[in-house]
Amino acid sequence: MCLGIESTAHTFGASLVDDRDRIVTNVNSTYRPPVGVGIHPRKASEHLASVADGIVKTALSIKDGSSIDPDVIAYAAGPGLGPCLRIGATVARALSSFLKKPLVPVHHGVAHLDIAMSITKAHDPLAVLVSGGHTSILVHVGKRWRVYGETQDITLGNLLDMFAREAKLPSPGGLSVSREATKGENLIKLPYTVKGNDVAYSGLLTAAATSLRRQGNLADLCFSLQETAFSMLSEAVERSLVQTRRSEVLLAGGVAASPRLREMIGSVAEDHGASFHPVPIEYSGDCGAQIACSGRLAYESGTTVSTSDSFVTPRWRMDEVDVPWIPRA
Amino acid sequence: MDTASLTSTPLHRGAEADLSLGTIGPWKVVVKRRVRKKYRNPILDERIRHDRTISEASVIHEAKTAGARVPSIVGVDIENNTIVMTHLAGTVARECLDDMGKSEAQKLLRSIGEQIGLLHTAGIVHGDLTTSNVIVSPSGASFIVDFGMSHRSVEPEDRGVDLHLLQRSIVASHSQDSSSMMNATIRGYEKTAGKKIATSTWRKAREIARRGRYFAIR
Repeated sequence: MCLGIESTAHTFGASLVDDRDRIVTNVNSTYRPPVGVGIHPRKASEHLASVADGIVKTALSIKDGSSIDPDVIAYAAGPGLGPCLRIGATVARALSSFLKKPLVPVHHGVAHLDIAMSITKAHDPLAVLVSGGHTSILVHVGKRWRVYGETQDITLGNLLDMFAREAKLPSPGGLSVSREATKGENLIKLPYTVKGNDVAYSGLLTAAATSLRRQGNLADLCFSLQETAFSMLSEAVERSLVQTRRSEVLLAGGVAASPRLREMIGSVAEDHGASFHPVPIEYSGDCGAQIACSGRLAYESGTTVSTSDSFVTPRWRMDEVDVPWIPRA
Repeated sequence: MDTASLTSTPLHRGAEADLSLGTIGPWKVVVKRRVRKKYRNPILDERIRHDRTISEASVIHEAKTAGARVPSIVGVDIENNTIVMTHLAGTVARECLDDMGKSEAQKLLRSIGEQIGLLHTAGIVHGDLTTSNVIVSPSGASFIVDFGMSHRSVEPEDRGVDLHLLQRSIVASHSQDSSSMMNATIRGYEKTAGKKIATSTWRKAREIARRGRYFAIR
């Protein structure tokens, strides 16, 4: 039984995953900043610290009221906000030395893909990771995920969150923009920037925010922002799929919850005869289960860290982590 | 040019266009038709296909004038977002690179570098330069194809994207050692673009690679 602890940004989560890759418990609490404001790292970390013990306790207790001692403790070592990462790492270190169980560092982005692959039964997909921290198109070659395309500036999650902030829509921004977009129908011309397999969203954000300040129609702007931003990514995904010739397309990360994005990436996969594996919405956002799932796989392939070496890594690229457990059986 | 009545057989389905093979007079031609994308909003879709068809045709023509090895434009059918160009016999570099020995592969990359240098000095950036977009003729000459993402620019930034994409396609799709492949590319590039442009473009390419998410400052 592997306990996973997530605390890279706004969410503190703890979860148990058993030896057969089944999620036994998954308990999470998310910090929500006030409308119009972003996540303040210190305020987020204070929230995480205040909920940590209750969440771990709940995650370790099963239905009959008894509690489970995990065999392995996995924690999100990065990438993420330093103050937040340190909360989860501290809890994990304490549990590991108290229970005398091995400690496993997990890459948060790799974990998004691992849980998505576990649940949707993907083997060796073209992976599309879209969240507040990542917007990348990846394929697994050798022992690592290789970045095939990515954002050159802000992520898709940043784009939606920052626009939502400008528009005074509540967090999470992606959901708010998505709701508004269903009421929009006029396509406003916005910058469309695809560079090969890469995308760049900052120009799009500026143009959309400027248009909003000039009293643009909010529903139409949300609609156009989604259509433009998602089309850019879909085009990069399609290009990558044709070149890498994978037969599966995985969609993971918080923005994978967007119905319109699921529809578009699904359509790209279908067009090229690839199966489509979108992560279930309840596991798309940051959660303990992704860390437990990835930690279990990492532990099985021999990854552990001593307490004294269990650093957090706020900046840590996907292609710097060995993931020998892919392709999956 | 009206391509609606032109008979052709399917050749390849790319990411944004369907390629088919036809004959006009003595020439074997490739018909490149930008097809509608179901995932895209129809207005956005039409705008992108229309703009790229016009831009691609004119850039290919300019590249030819600059002395680069590219297909020749036979005709453009704007209503159907279609370009007709001469067919090139050969193999896609993606297919043959891994079967080559190291020195043969380096020779190919050097020749690709020379072609990119010619394009860049003519003010053209390719915008989607991967090993899938290079055709190696039976004599071993490299032809650059698919100018769908290309545009006019003399900015080191845009030139850098070309080398960055080529490098990434070698890292992600090939077993050849990427650093010696890139060294060969840059040697060829330097030959046609000159040392000054080569230095600034390569510096920019490395900077673009580092711009990706979560690169630690080392």
